[in-house]
Amino acid sequence: MIDRASPASPPVGRVVATELKPATPYQFHFWTAQETTVGIGAIVRVEEQSKGNGEGGRVVYGVVTDAFAYSDLATPLHDVIGAEGDPARAAEAPTVRQEIRLWTAAVLRQIPEEPLQPVPLGRVLVASDADVAQALRMDAYLTGAAPTGIPIGLYTSGGLESPVYLDADFLLGPEAAHLNISGVSGLATKTSAVEFLLASIFQHFPVHKGKIAAVCFNVKGPDLCFLDQAGTLSDEDRRRYERLGVAPRAFERVRYYAPFKADGVNLNTLRTHPDLAPTVEPLVWGLAEVLDYAEVLLNRDDIDAKADAFIDFLSDRVLNRDFEDGFGGTHRVQSFADLDRLFRAIIGGLEDAGRSDMWRTHHIATIRKVRNRLSNISTRCKGLVADDGQSSDLPWGAFADRTAYIVDLANVDPLGQDLVFARVVSKLREHLERRDLGVEAVVVFVDELNKYAPADGPDTYVKKMLLDISERGRYLGLVLFAAEQFRSQVHRRVVGNAGTQVFGRMDMDELATPGYQVLSPATKIKLATLPIGELMIRHPHFTQPIFVRFPRPAALRGRDGVERFPPAADLPFAEAVVRQLVRLDRGVRPNLVKDLIADRDEVDVRRALAAVRRARPDDVTAYLRKALGSRVAVDAPRARPVVPPLNPISEEPY
Amino acid sequence: MRGKAAWTERIVDAGAVPAAFVPAASGGRSDVEEIAGAELVEEERVAVHAVAPGGGPATVSFLDGIQRWAVVGYDGVVPIVRGYVAAAARRRGADRRLRVAREAARELAVAPLALLRAGVRRALEESGAAVIDLGAEAAGQPGRLLVAAQQAVNAERVRVETEVAEAVAARLGAEEWLVVDGLLSESAKLAGHPRALGVIKSHSAQYFEGADLQTALTCPGGTRTSVFRPRGRARHEVYSWYLRLWPWEGNDLLFGLLRIEARAHAGTVATATGVSSWLLAERAPLATPDARFDRLLYPIHDVETYLRSRAPRDLLLTAGSRLPKTGT
Repeated sequence: MIDRASPASPPVGRVVATELKPATPYQFHFWTAQETTVGIGAIVRVEEQSKGNGEGGRVVYGVVTDAFAYSDLATPLHDVIGAEGDPARAAEAPTVRQEIRLWTAAVLRQIPEEPLQPVPLGRVLVASDADVAQALRMDAYLTGAAPTGIPIGLYTSGGLESPVYLDADFLLGPEAAHLNISGVSGLATKTSAVEFLLASIFQHFPVHKGKIAAVCFNVKGPDLCFLDQAGTLSDEDRRRYERLGVAPRAFERVRYYAPFKADGVNLNTLRTHPDLAPTVEPLVWGLAEVLDYAEVLLNRDDIDAKADAFIDFLSDRVLNRDFEDGFGGTHRVQSFADLDRLFRAIIGGLEDAGRSDMWRTHHIATIRKVRNRLSNISTRCKGLVADDGQSSDLPWGAFADRTAYIVDLANVDPLGQDLVFARVVSKLREHLERRDLGVEAVVVFVDELNKYAPADGPDTYVKKMLLDISERGRYLGLVLFAAEQFRSQVHRRVVGNAGTQVFGRMDMDELATPGYQVLSPATKIKLATLPIGELMIRHPHFTQPIFVRFPRPAALRGRDGVERFPPAADLPFAEAVVRQLVRLDRGVRPNLVKDLIADRDEVDVRRALAAVRRARPDDVTAYLRKALGSRVAVDAPRARPVVPPLNPISEEPY
Repeated sequence: MRGKAAWTERIVDAGAVPAAFVPAASGGRSDVEEIAGAELVEEERVAVHAVAPGGGPATVSFLDGIQRWAVVGYDGVVPIVRGYVAAAARRRGADRRLRVAREAARELAVAPLALLRAGVRRALEESGAAVIDLGAEAAGQPGRLLVAAQQAVNAERVRVETEVAEAVAARLGAEEWLVVDGLLSESAKLAGHPRALGVIKSHSAQYFEGADLQTALTCPGGTRTSVFRPRGRARHEVYSWYLRLWPWEGNDLLFGLLRIEARAHAGTVATATGVSSWLLAERAPLATPDARFDRLLYPIHDVETYLRSRAPRDLLLTAGSRLPKTGT
């Protein structure tokens, strides 16, 4: 896509150097006419005058980082005198003062690279397509037998639109990896940028590097809920797609996962429109899945060796085994309900025996704390964590190439979000280490990174895990794409390890923090006023940040998706069960199912439904009937006697 | 510039003693230093007319010239001078910006050829520069030769300015004016042109005496005097008047005072106030940091700056240029 036959353009400027503003090997200054296409972020080419011996002179590429304008006015007071104190008259002066447009540019590349010398005082030209490729050292990975370029956007300046590519080896490993994108909410288009980049990766990931998939956590609204639906694109967007060599189409392979709501049958997602709901898989975990990541549930005060040891004891000695509690009871713990029975037996046994506060070397306070935390997760994340032990999970071991797996956690309790994130990422890591995930690389997209890996605050399990991914993930093919509003509020090692850094429109307060000291004031101003769809990119091959434009994602945007596919209201329990079953077998007769589950306990129905979902039998109705078992009449709750207050002084019940 | 300057090395090779002394450059074409006299053509006595700043023609060209000279060698005690003269006209259009309309520059080698040794003379003649022979009559003390050389460079600058000015004047558009820094009366073509003006900043010549002189030289800021015909000039006839750009009180008597020259024609009297009006508007922008900003029109300052930027750098006086040369 790089046009290597760009016609030679006339010079737009000339390098100047004075003792106070010399040209150096890393920076130079040049002037242009006042009417020029050069601006902050423009890439220019400096040509040294030929030496006349047939040898071409040195060529230097630079990116404009600062700009100055001044006139021959000796002091502002002289302007006041000339206008006789009237600002209106200053504009009426018959002659416009001589002015200069002086630009500062940072060197991107010198050819030849050795010996490294100050920039020659030569003529300045705006960069062509081929110049941009040279300046950004993209020639190293866009050519050759195994190119690894991933289009990220168009460098636009002075009517030029040059595709800019990232190196897959440095974006997705193994040389470097991870991408961090920051910018203010709503204007930085962080999610759109990641959607476009994922589409670009799926279309351009080199075949020789194997298979790739993406796991995206949707943590707010409907952002990622309609990636498989085509959005509306302008002609301008289509032209940009064509220029970048990316097909403007929605994601072809997307799989959605969402936990249930508290009722256990309606999915907790905004993708519940009848046309789309069947494509959302439930995400439900049982005790075994949760217990492995119980550390996530513990806050800093809870983290002690005793709680840790007790949780390990439960995992190793109790879970899925026949276990004697020491008070005459035998338990087989497979669900939260089983576990709670065990806890009650232990605590009750200790209290009844009155013999000690210790049970199998574990103090009762530790037991109570762990019980409290585990009960808490099953209450706060009722739709995600099933009491009954049945689970429905991502397709571990069967991840498909160029497929996006969207885990919708937008309406899940933060504790549950942490749990899902920790478990999914840990499982990805395990499978990637064993090389049995189904793909060689996985991009994990996390929004609101400052929440998961804050610069300060406690060392949570999630934060430690993010640090681990960012420092070691590239060797495994586990790549973190993370977004946040304020980069300064994210752990330094997490953002520092991101090989590629992307900036949308930034807040001026954020730009005033030390992390942005390397940027010139002009670049900061540009960042603070960056239009939607424009980004600043830092990439290992680019010696300076580069501004690019990217087209709107071809997939339907979240808020447009909600309008086109309005979420359905929660279905009554029976209807929701029918829908779940119809999704597995379109031949299911709704009325028959409703008859089957009528008067049955909802817990039993959910358990039976989970069994059907897991088994995926040919005859869904028959399997459900079998899973439900024989009908058992439910006892009506016994009325509790009411004792009237002794001295009814008022109607106030307290 | 290195190629052009090489002849200065060749004359040294030929036996001249090298030197490096740059006298102060000329301040421009000055008024003639003579007691002249004048004939009033507008009123009986010199009167003062108020002028308000106003708009001028859409297109105006401004002309100025510069000269540089330096003694680059001595053949015996005979100084050999290298000179540089240049002139440019810069046109101001509707966008109020100045752009070069025409320019000319000349490199000079000035010396009394008859007094030079054959080798030095040959080197000078082969220099590629325009050689100006001072003539044997200038011989004598080196100081006299330097004065003669300066006058020769000065005359050459006037010549170049006149060439450029006449060429520009010949191509002026129907509504376009030409403003020359200095005397208009040097050239018949300029003196007779209906839309050419000379702006003189120095006031060595005296045209009035007594009360008329006082009226002329004490006119307040934003006024002009009556139009008069300067007398005693050897060149071409023009009309003239004084124009005060800035109040002089608290400064010098000549602060902000210009003398304008225009065609000797009845129409000039009729348009004197209008022309003064737009010249008064040329006070802004202020031509600082030039010390003559009170009389120097900014466009003229701009032309001068342009010419200076293109002049050979080695003809500029620098702080270290007269330090003794060491072996290294």
